Amino acid sequence: MSNPQSEPLVELESVVKRFDDFVAVKSMDLTIGKGEFVAIMGPSGCGKTTTLRMLAGLEQPTEGEIRIGGELMNDVPPHDRDTPMVWQSLALFPFLNARENVEFGLKMRKVPAAERKKRALEWLDRLGIGEFAERNVATLSGGQRQRVALARSLVTEPKLLLLDEPLSALDAHLVIRMQSVLTKLQRELGITFVYVTHSQSEAFAMADRVVIMSQGEIAQIGSSRDIYREPANRFVAEFVGRNNIISGKVVKVTKGKAEVIAASGTYVVEAGDLLEGQETTFVISADLVQITREATKSENSVQCSLISEEFIGSVVTLFLEAADGTEFKVQLQERELSTLDHGAGDEFYLSWPAKSAHIIDGA
Amino acid sequence: MNTQKKSTQKKRRFNLYAMVWRTPIIVWQLLFFVGPLLFMIAMSFFLVKNYRMIEAFEMKNWIKMFSKNYFWDSYYLTFGLASLSTIIATVIAFPASFALAFKVSDNVRRWVIFLLIIPFFTSYLVRIFSWYVILAESGVINAMLSYVGLGPYTMLNTMFGTLVGYMTLCLPLVVILQTFSLANVDKNLIQAAKNLGCSPIKTIYSVIIPLAKTGLIVAALFCFILSFGDFVSPYYLGGSKPPTLPILIIDTTKSGQQWPRAAVVAVVMMATLITIAFAALALAYKKRASR
Amino acid sequence: MKESNTLKWFLWIYIGLIFVFIFSPIIFSMIFSFNSARFPTIPLESFTWHWYETIWNDSDVWQAAKTSVIVSSCTAVIATALGFATAYSDFRYNFRFKGPYLALVLLPPTIPLIILALAMLAWFSKIGTSGQIYSIVIAHSVMTAPFAMAIIRLRLNQIDENLEAAAWNLGASEWRAMKEVILPFCKPAIVSSLCLTAAVSFDEFAVAWFVSGLNKTIPVMIMEIVTGNIDPRVNAIGTFVFITSMTLVIIAQIFFMTRPKEASAQ
Repeated sequence: MSNPQSEPLVELESVVKRFDDFVAVKSMDLTIGKGEFVAIMGPSGCGKTTTLRMLAGLEQPTEGEIRIGGELMNDVPPHDRDTPMVWQSLALFPFLNARENVEFGLKMRKVPAAERKKRALEWLDRLGIGEFAERNVATLSGGQRQRVALARSLVTEPKLLLLDEPLSALDAHLVIRMQSVLTKLQRELGITFVYVTHSQSEAFAMADRVVIMSQGEIAQIGSSRDIYREPANRFVAEFVGRNNIISGKVVKVTKGKAEVIAASGTYVVEAGDLLEGQETTFVISADLVQITREATKSENSVQCSLISEEFIGSVVTLFLEAADGTEFKVQLQERELSTLDHGAGDEFYLSWPAKSAHIIDGA
Repeated sequence: MNTQKKSTQKKRRFNLYAMVWRTPIIVWQLLFFVGPLLFMIAMSFFLVKNYRMIEAFEMKNWIKMFSKNYFWDSYYLTFGLASLSTIIATVIAFPASFALAFKVSDNVRRWVIFLLIIPFFTSYLVRIFSWYVILAESGVINAMLSYVGLGPYTMLNTMFGTLVGYMTLCLPLVVILQTFSLANVDKNLIQAAKNLGCSPIKTIYSVIIPLAKTGLIVAALFCFILSFGDFVSPYYLGGSKPPTLPILIIDTTKSGQQWPRAAVVAVVMMATLITIAFAALALAYKKRASR
Repeated sequence: MKESNTLKWFLWIYIGLIFVFIFSPIIFSMIFSFNSARFPTIPLESFTWHWYETIWNDSDVWQAAKTSVIVSSCTAVIATALGFATAYSDFRYNFRFKGPYLALVLLPPTIPLIILALAMLAWFSKIGTSGQIYSIVIAHSVMTAPFAMAIIRLRLNQIDENLEAAAWNLGASEWRAMKEVILPFCKPAIVSSLCLTAAVSFDEFAVAWFVSGLNKTIPVMIMEIVTGNIDPRVNAIGTFVFITSMTLVIIAQIFFMTRPKEASAQ
C-alpha cells in the first residue's frame, strides 16, 4: 500500500519508542521517498512528534531500525545527521541576528566566514527577508521569524527537512502564505519534507502523502484524496471530520449491491465483500450528499430536519438530524446554498448514490 | 520533556558530558562543606594537651561544657534572644509585607524589594558600627532627644541594642519572604471571604495568614537562624555580658585554643537549629498536606 | 473610601519607617565619614576629607584591599563556575538522588557563619591549607556557589527548551552547543552572578576572620579597628566598601533584569 514513487530516503522498520512505561510509538513501519512531501498528522499525544524527533536523532528508538539514505541511524547522534528541523517554537537563537542564525549550521560545518555570510544572505534573499539580515530576531514579525527559521534549516542544503508544526504560531492569513512558500520551496529544491501537524488543512494542502497516527500507530497512509474519500477506519473517518458515518446490518446482497439497515433507515451500498447478516459501517463524505426539498429517486434517501449551518470561507456545512436523532452533515458551496430556500427546523431530503458510500471494514 | 530526557539518559551508561557538569559541585561540597562539618563534629570528641589537639574519642569536652553554668546561661540567652528577635521581626514586618503584597502595583513592589535586597550586599559590620555611634550615650539619638529635654538613655550594651542589631540583619529578609508568600495568596479567595461578610481583620486572620502560612514560617525560621548564629550584634551592641553561643565559640577558639570545646558549642547550635527547622517546617506544611 | 485612604497612608508611612531603620546606619556612616569630629554625633562639625586621606595613606588598608580584591574576584569565578555547572545539570538532566544533590548544593547559606567559620578553620588546619588567601577563597566559594546556582538556574528557566536541541540539530556537538548556545544565553546571568558573589565575598568577615591567618581582608580589618575603640576611619572604609558592593549589586541587577525579548515579539 502507498509505496513511494521514487527510491526510498527514510525507512522506519518496526520502530517502537517507550518512555518508561508509556509507549509513544508502537511498531511503526514507514517508507518515505526522495523528494516526497509527507505530512504526519494526528491528535496530540499520537506519537507524531516523537517520530520526528527520532528522525532527528533527539530520541533513540527502543526497538526497530531507522535508516536514512540506506544507512542505519539508530545510534547516530543528532549533530552527525543531516536532518535539520523547523521547530514549533522556531528555537531561533535570541542572542544572534537573523544572518548569524542562518549561518549557524554552516559555522558548525566549518565553512569559512565569508562564504557563510554569502550563503546566508542568499537564503534570506530567496525567502524575501534579505533586508532584515542584521536585525535582532526578537524584533522581527512572526512571519519573518518563520522565514529565518526556514533559511537556517535549508542553508546547509539537506536532503531531508523535518518540520514540527511550524505554522501553528502564525495568524491564519500568514499560514496560507507560508503554505505556498513551503510547497514552492519543496518543489524547487526537490528535497524530502516530513511535516508534522495537527491541522488537516495544512496537511491536505501541501503533502503528497498523509500519514495519520493514532495512539502511537499508523491509522492510514495515503494521498489527501484517499484519506478524504476512503478512510481506512472509523478513527480516520472521524478525525477527518467531514464524514457521515453509518453503522448497520447487511440484510440482502443482490447484483453487487448490499442493503444495510441502520437506525436512521435502510441504505444501499456497493456490496464488495459484504455478506448477508454482517455488521458493517460505511461513510459518505459530506460533500457527496445531495440536499433537496423534495424526495428524489436516488438509491439512498433520508429525511432530516436542519439544525444549524457553519460557514468556512465559501464552503457551508449544514448539520441535520434524522427522525431517530442520527446526525448528518452536508457540505456545499455557498452559492449552491443560496438557491436553496432554508431555515432551521425545515425538512429536507438527503440523497446519494450507492457508489458514494465507502465501507470501513472491522468497524 | 523530563521523560524524554530520562530515556536518553538510560541509553548511555557513562555520559562524560553530563558528568563534567554534575560532578564538580559534589566533590567540592564534600571536600569543603560536608568535610568540615563532619570534622567539626569529630573534633568535639578530641582532646587538648599542652595547647595541642590530640585526635581521640572522649566525652570530656561535652561533659565539661554541659556541667558549666555559663554554657547554659549562654544557651538560654541566645535561644531567648533569637526567639524574641523572630517574634519582633515577624510582627514588625507583617504590616509592611501586607501593604507590599496587596496595596501596591507589581512595579512598585519590584522596586521596594530591590531596595530591600541592597542591605544584604552591604557590610553588616559597618552598619552595626554605625548603630553603635547612633545609639551611644552621646550618640545621634540621645543628642536629638536632648533637644526636647529627654534622656540620655542607655541603649548600648543592653538587650535593646542587640535586638536593634538583629533587626538590621533580619528585617529586610523577613519583609521580602513575607511579601512573596502573601503575594502568592489567591486574590479570589480573599474576595470570596469579603463577599461572605468577613471583616478585614477577620479576613487577615482566618484567610490570608493560613494561606500564606508556609512562607511566613519560613521567613521566621530564617530570622531565627540568622539571629541565633550572629555574634556581631550581641558583641558590639549588646556588650556580650553574658556572651551568646557564637561569642562563646569565638572566645573559646581565639583565646583559649580550645577548639574541641568550641566544636561542642557549635554542634549544640547545629542540633538546636536542625530541631527548630524541622519543627518549623512540620508546622508549615502540616495542614497543607492533609488538605 | 476615606477609611481605606487613611489606611494606605498609614501603611506607606510604616514602610517608610522600616526603610529609615534599614538605611539610617548606611547613611549615617556615609555622613560621618566626612565629619571632622572624633566622636561621630550631631550636631555635625566641619566637612573633612581627613578620614579618607588617613586610609589612603595607610599601607595596611591597601594591603587589605588587595587581599579583598583577590579573594572576591577568585571567589566570584569559582562560585560562578560551580554554580553554572550545577544549574545546568539541574536544568538538563533528571537523575537519581537529585533531591539530596540539590540539598548538598543549596544548604550552606542556612548554616550560621560562625559554625562554618569554626568548621572550616579546623578542617583547613587538618588538611594543611589554613591561613592562606586561598583558604578564604575556598570558604567563600562554598558559601556563595548556591547564589550563583540560583541566579543562573533562573535564567535557564527562560530558555526555549528546544534551543539546545536546535543547535545539535544544526550540527553542533553537545560541547559545541554549550559554547555556542547555552553560555551566550546565560551570559547576563553569569555576569550578574560574578558581581553578586564578589559582593558577598567582599563583605564577609566571620569566616574570613577565622581562616585568613595573617591575610586580612577589608572587613576583617574593619572588625579589628572596631573592636575596642571608636574610630571614624571605619566610616570612610565602610563608605568605600558600600560603594564597591553597591556598584557590583547594581551591575548585577541590570544584567539580571535582561529578559529575552522574543516572548514579546510573538
